Amino acid sequence: MNESRIRFSHWLRGDGAELKSELVVVSLTSLIRHLAAIVIGCGLFGFVMGVWRSPLQGAYTAVKLPAILVLTALGNTLINGMFAPLLGVELNLKKTFAAVLASYSIASLILAAFAPLIGFLVWNLPPLSTVNSANRAHHALLLVLVIAIAFAGTAANRRLLTLIRQFSPDDGSALRLLWSWLTINFLLGSQLSWILRPFIGSPQLVVQFFRSDALHGNFYATLAHTLKGFFDF
Amino acid sequence: MNEPSLPPPVPAQPNGENEMIDLARDLTVMNAVEFVLRNPRQMIARIAGPRGTWTSFVLAFIAGVSAVVYGLVVGSFSGGSQWWAAPAKIVGGMALSGLICLPSLYIFACLGGSRAKPSQVFGVLLAMLAIANLLLIGFAPVAWIFSQSTDSATCVGFFHITFWVIALLFGCRFIATALRALGSHSTSLVGLWTLLFLFVTLQMTTTLRPIVGTSPQLLSEEKVFFLNYWFQGAPNKLEHAK
Repeated sequence: MNESRIRFSHWLRGDGAELKSELVVVSLTSLIRHLAAIVIGCGLFGFVMGVWRSPLQGAYTAVKLPAILVLTALGNTLINGMFAPLLGVELNLKKTFAAVLASYSIASLILAAFAPLIGFLVWNLPPLSTVNSANRAHHALLLVLVIAIAFAGTAANRRLLTLIRQFSPDDGSALRLLWSWLTINFLLGSQLSWILRPFIGSPQLVVQFFRSDALHGNFYATLAHTLKGFFDF
Repeated sequence: MNEPSLPPPVPAQPNGENEMIDLARDLTVMNAVEFVLRNPRQMIARIAGPRGTWTSFVLAFIAGVSAVVYGLVVGSFSGGSQWWAAPAKIVGGMALSGLICLPSLYIFACLGGSRAKPSQVFGVLLAMLAIANLLLIGFAPVAWIFSQSTDSATCVGFFHITFWVIALLFGCRFIATALRALGSHSTSLVGLWTLLFLFVTLQMTTTLRPIVGTSPQLLSEEKVFFLNYWFQGAPNKLEHAK
């Protein structure tokens, strides 16, 4: 338990030498620890995210949010592992997977630390029954969640970059690898989020684990459609 | 013939050892008050030292008692049930705010490079609350004069919040010093956390309302954001609350 805390604090501090030592030997135990951090941390954040809509939505989101991270890491294991040697970074497939998983677990721990704050915000939001203020509350909650997730994501990726630098011949290679990973992870992660929606749930719609049209359309087509409508072209 | 045995001379101890002996002694309330106000480094050493749990307990006691004293001053504005409700809400609200923000303080400390343990961060948070509440006691005479000579609850509430913000800034300055001493190299995250804690405590004053003024209910059921409450609702609801 104590060892586990020390290892997570290495990742949180982001000291290059300490991070490098974390990847010298990638054990099953360390992977399980990171997975547990994702499931617990992101699950907690997911619960407070959805609980404003209803406790059932909170439970659904507590399952779906960690699932997206784990599925993204698993789905991109091969391509992420191929990018590393191609861009001159000395990370093998196992270490690549461990590094990506570790960055997700750090983001999850940060989100877990924000969970009480989000919970307090949800406690103070007007209930759904007050129709007039529910939409405003929904937008306010969305905005705060986006800020929290952006902060966690930025902090986690800064640590990931520090780690990649330890295995890179130069800063350019490290940056190129990070951006490659971010791009491919965003591509898969955003589509998984689209399939697994809703996370908060619009006040007007019923609580569901999956939308009935979950596998119809994709995130980018919808985004393009929205932009088309917005700019009217 | 045996010579009388003399006690061995007391060896001169290096400063570090003396300090360790000192740190191992139990902290008294008066010492703790002096350290948090005048000698923060000594307090940080005690929080990180072998008697850290006891130090945290003393700091929690100081913060709690100080909050009760200031709560009585707040309650004196309306009297009646507010004599006990205001101190109870202030102590409860402060404790709840601290617990809500403790995980983020630990994570921010680590992100800033600090090697502090969660228990040490908890001690630092308690020291911050002790400093802030001690400062509130310092403001108490001024707050009491305004409470007794002002009819507007909004106006009195504004003074209390101003005093709280000032006290909190001094408290958070201690957090920045403590985390730097515990290895942190970034103070911007402490600034961000201070803002978060300030928002939580200000929202807490609205969640637990009325703390200043009176209401038929002990706690209001209406959910409202503190800025909306202070700039729209409060003047209408509390103007004649005294």
